[in-house]
Amino acid sequence: MKKRYAFLFSLILLQSLLYGRESLEDSSLEDIMNTESDPVVSIDSHGQMNDYFDARAAVDVIYADQIEHSGYTLLTDVLRYFIPGFNAPEPSLADGSDHVRAFTLRGMSADQTLILLNGKRLHTSALLHVNTTIGRGSNNVDLDTIPVYAIEKIEILRDGAAAQYGSDAIAGVINIVLKGTGYKNSIALQGGKRSAGDGEKTDLSAFVTIPLKYDGFINMTAATTHANQTQRAGADRRLSPPEVKTHYGLPDATIYQFLLNSELPFQNGTIIYSHVLLNKKESKASAFFRTPDSSRAFNKDGFLPMIRGDIQDYSVNFGIKGELPYDVSYDLSQIIGANSFRFYVDESMNYSLGVSSPTSFYNGKLFTKQATTNIDLKKNFENGFHLLSGAEYRKEQYTISSGDSASYTGTGAQGLTGFQPRNATDASRDSYALYLDGIWDFTPKLSSELAGRYEKYSDFGTTTNVKFAGNYKMTKHLSFRTSVGTGFRAPSLAQSNYSLTSSYIDANGTLATQGTFKTSDPEAVSEGATPLKPEKSQHLSVGAVYKTEHAYIMADYFYTKVNDKIMLSDNLPVSIGNITAVRFFTNAIDTKTQGIDFKAVYNNMFENNHKLDISFWYHYDITTITNINSPYVTQQNSLAQLDAIENSQPKNSQRVLVNYKKEPYNIALNLSRFGSFSQVVSGKSREFDPMITADFQATYAVKRYLNVSVGGNNIFNAMPNKWKDLSGIGLGYDGIVPYSEYSPVGFSGAFYYVKATLKF
Amino acid sequence: MKLKFIFIFFLLISSLSAYQSEKYLEALIIGKVAKYVEWNTQETKDFIIAVLHNPFADILDTIYKHKTIHGKKVKLIYIDDIGELPQNTNILYIPQEDAAQLPDIIDKIKDKPILTISPIRGFAEKEGILQIYFVARKIKFKINLDIAKQNDLYIKSTLLRISEVLQKDKS
Repeated sequence: MKKRYAFLFSLILLQSLLYGRESLEDSSLEDIMNTESDPVVSIDSHGQMNDYFDARAAVDVIYADQIEHSGYTLLTDVLRYFIPGFNAPEPSLADGSDHVRAFTLRGMSADQTLILLNGKRLHTSALLHVNTTIGRGSNNVDLDTIPVYAIEKIEILRDGAAAQYGSDAIAGVINIVLKGTGYKNSIALQGGKRSAGDGEKTDLSAFVTIPLKYDGFINMTAATTHANQTQRAGADRRLSPPEVKTHYGLPDATIYQFLLNSELPFQNGTIIYSHVLLNKKESKASAFFRTPDSSRAFNKDGFLPMIRGDIQDYSVNFGIKGELPYDVSYDLSQIIGANSFRFYVDESMNYSLGVSSPTSFYNGKLFTKQATTNIDLKKNFENGFHLLSGAEYRKEQYTISSGDSASYTGTGAQGLTGFQPRNATDASRDSYALYLDGIWDFTPKLSSELAGRYEKYSDFGTTTNVKFAGNYKMTKHLSFRTSVGTGFRAPSLAQSNYSLTSSYIDANGTLATQGTFKTSDPEAVSEGATPLKPEKSQHLSVGAVYKTEHAYIMADYFYTKVNDKIMLSDNLPVSIGNITAVRFFTNAIDTKTQGIDFKAVYNNMFENNHKLDISFWYHYDITTITNINSPYVTQQNSLAQLDAIENSQPKNSQRVLVNYKKEPYNIALNLSRFGSFSQVVSGKSREFDPMITADFQATYAVKRYLNVSVGGNNIFNAMPNKWKDLSGIGLGYDGIVPYSEYSPVGFSGAFYYVKATLKF
Repeated sequence: MKLKFIFIFFLLISSLSAYQSEKYLEALIIGKVAKYVEWNTQETKDFIIAVLHNPFADILDTIYKHKTIHGKKVKLIYIDDIGELPQNTNILYIPQEDAAQLPDIIDKIKDKPILTISPIRGFAEKEGILQIYFVARKIKFKINLDIAKQNDLYIKSTLLRISEVLQKDKS
C-alpha cells in the first residue's frame, strides 16, 4: 500500500513540476481551441443541456474520441468498457441469444433500460431471450445495429425517467447522439485475433460528410464486421476418446451497418432532420453435439447442428423543428423501426423424417415493428421557467411466421425446432401519451423539475407517472441532486404473444410436446395464465457533485422498486393431450434494487499540449426479490432463475480509465474489475471469482491524416474460473461447458489488434 | 483503506486542471479573436463589447475586468434590445436565444464597423461575421470575410488560417 501511495504522489508531483499550467485566460488562441469544453448532456431533462454539476440526476457521457481509443467496434462492448454496472455477457449454446446480446444496467432487467437514437425511441429486437441467459424473458434493443463510427457521444442517464420518456425507462436511459456538422471524412480498418489464435475479426468503417448550407449536413456511415468464432468448449466425454465437438464461444458473425444522419436547416432557422439506419447480421453458432447413433437414417457418426440467424433491422426517422410565434419551439417527428430474425438450422436432421429429412431447415421468423409519432412544444419564460409539453402516438406489431414443415414435424430439427403454424401470430397494439415537463430555475443556485406523463395502451389500459427532480448548488463547488418518481414498463408484445413448442419421444415411445405458450393459449390459460400487466416502479436517487475548478467527483445513491416484474416461468408439468409441460410469461415478482455510484473524472491540458484524462468509477448494486406474486414461479421450480436475478450479475464493478495524448501519440488504458457472481446448477449456487481485465491502445499519427494503432482488449488474457465444484458431461470444469455463460467479460480471452485510420 | 486511497488521489489531482464550460470558452474567445481584428475607426477611449441578452452571467466581468484590448480598456455593455447598442461598439455578441431576431439585428448594424460574434447556427451565412461552434467539444470558427470587409474590418491571416472562411469570390 505504501508503495502505491508513493507512486501516486511521485506521479502527480512530477507532472506538476514538469508541466505547470498557466491560466487559460493567458493562453494563446490555439491553446483555447485545443481545450475541451465540459461534458454536457441533454438526457436528464428532455433537451436542456446540463453538465455534471447542473444535472438533476446521475448522468454520464462518452465521446467519439474515447470510443475510438477503446478499440471496440460494437456498441455493446463500448458501453461495457466505460460503464460499470452495464453488464453484457457473451452467451453461447443459447439459441437466438448467441446472436443478439442482452445487456443490463444497474443489475436490473434487459428491457428496463430505454434506448434513444438522437433523442428518439429506438425499437427493440424481435428476439425474446428464452434461454437461461442474463436477460431471460426480455427483448432488448440490439445495440450492435448502430455503427459506432457514426456516434458523436453517448449520454447515459442513471435514473428512472418514465415520466419523461415513457415505458422502459426504469433503470435508466441511454441516448446515442450521432455526429453532426464539422466532422472529417474518415476510413478505419481494424484487424485482430484472440491470443488463443482464433476469433479473427476484421472491421471496416467509413464516414462521409456532405456539408449543407447553414451548417446542415448529410452524414453517412457504412461499416462491416466479420468475426470468426472462438472455441472454448471442453471435450465431450460421451465420446471415446473424449473429443471437442460442440462449439462454446463467440459465434461466427458478419455485420453490415449503414447509417445516414442529416439536417437541412433553412434561413428562418427551421430544420428538417432525418436518420436512416440499416443493418444486416448473419450469425452462426452451434447447438450441442449429437453423439453417434447407428439407428439414425444418416448422420450415424454424430453431428453438430448449427443455428444460423439472419437478422435485418431498419429505423427511419423524419422530423421538423423550428420556432412558432410567442417564442415557442416545436419538434414534430416520425420514427419507424423494425427488426426481423430468421432462424435457420444447418448440418442437422429431423429424426422423425428418417432418410427423407433435409439437413438444412428454415425455422421461421420473428418480426417486430414500431412506429412513433411525436410532437414537442417548448417555451422558455423570462422568469426562469421552462415548459415542455408533448404528445406521442405509437403503433407496435409483433409477428411470428412458421418455418418449413420439416423444421417442426415430429421431433423437429435437431438443435432448434421450428416455429409451427400454431405458433404463428400477428399481434399489434397502439398507445398514446400526453406529457408535461416543467423546469424552474428558482435562483441560479436552485432548480427543480416536475414531469408528468399519461399513457393509454390498447392492451392493458392507462398509466400515469410523475417525477420530481432538483439540483441545489450549495457553493460554486458543491451541488446536491435528487430525483423521485414512478415508472412503468409495458409488457412487450413478444412477452404476450411468443410461443414455441417442441416435441420429443417420451419413455413410452410416444410423441410428447412441451414449450412456451402465449398467455392466451388454452393450454396456458388452463394452468392459470392471465393477460400481462405492466411492471410498475418507484425510484429515488440522491447524489452530490463536487466540482473544483479542476475535476468532478460524484457520488449517488439509488433505490428502485419494481412491482409485477414479468418473468418466463420454468416448465410446469401438465397432462393436456400430448402436452407434458407448459411455460408462459407471468407478472411474477416484486424486486428492489439499490446501490451507489462513485465517480471521479479529471482532465488536464498541460503546456505543450500534453493532455491527460483519468477517471475512476465504482459501482455497487444489489437486487432483492421482495415478493413472489405468481404461483407459477416458486423457489422450488424456478430456483435458478430467481437466484440469477439476485446473484448472477456482479454486484460491484470498477473502472480506471487513463488517456494520455501528446501529438503524435495517444495512449489509452482501461482497468476493469468485475465482482463475483454465481449461477445455480443442479439446485446449488456456484460462485465465480471477481475478474480484472486491462485494455490498451497506443496510437501514432504517422501523418496529419493517418493514425496507426496497436492494442488489445483484455490484454493479460484474464479468464473466468471454471466451475469450481461441478463435474459433468455438459456443465462442469471437465465438461463441454467449462465456463459460466454469465461471465461478465465472456470467456474468449485476450484480443489483439492493429488499426489504421484515415481522416480527410 | 481503499476509500482513503481514492480520496487522497482525487484530492491531489483536483489541484491540477480545469473543466471549462462552453460559455466560458466562448467568453474567452471574444477577447482573443479581437486581437486578430483591426477596426478602421476613430480613436476611442474604450474597447466596447456589447452583449445582447447576456447569457454569460458574470463570466465576462470576471475575465475582462481590468483587461485591455488593442491598448484600450475593455468596457462591457449588456443590452436587451439592439436599439440600445452604443456608438463605437467594437464587438457585438448575439446569443442563441436571439436566433429568430437575427435578420433584424443584422439589418440594424449593417455596414457598421462591428465584429459580430454568435453561436447561432448558420450565423456566418446569415451575414454575421464570426460564428462560434463546437465539434468534439472543441471550439471552432467560421468567418464571413465578405461581411467583415463590408463592415470595414480587417481580419488577420493568423485567424483566417484556423477558421473556416466564407468568401464569395474565393476560388
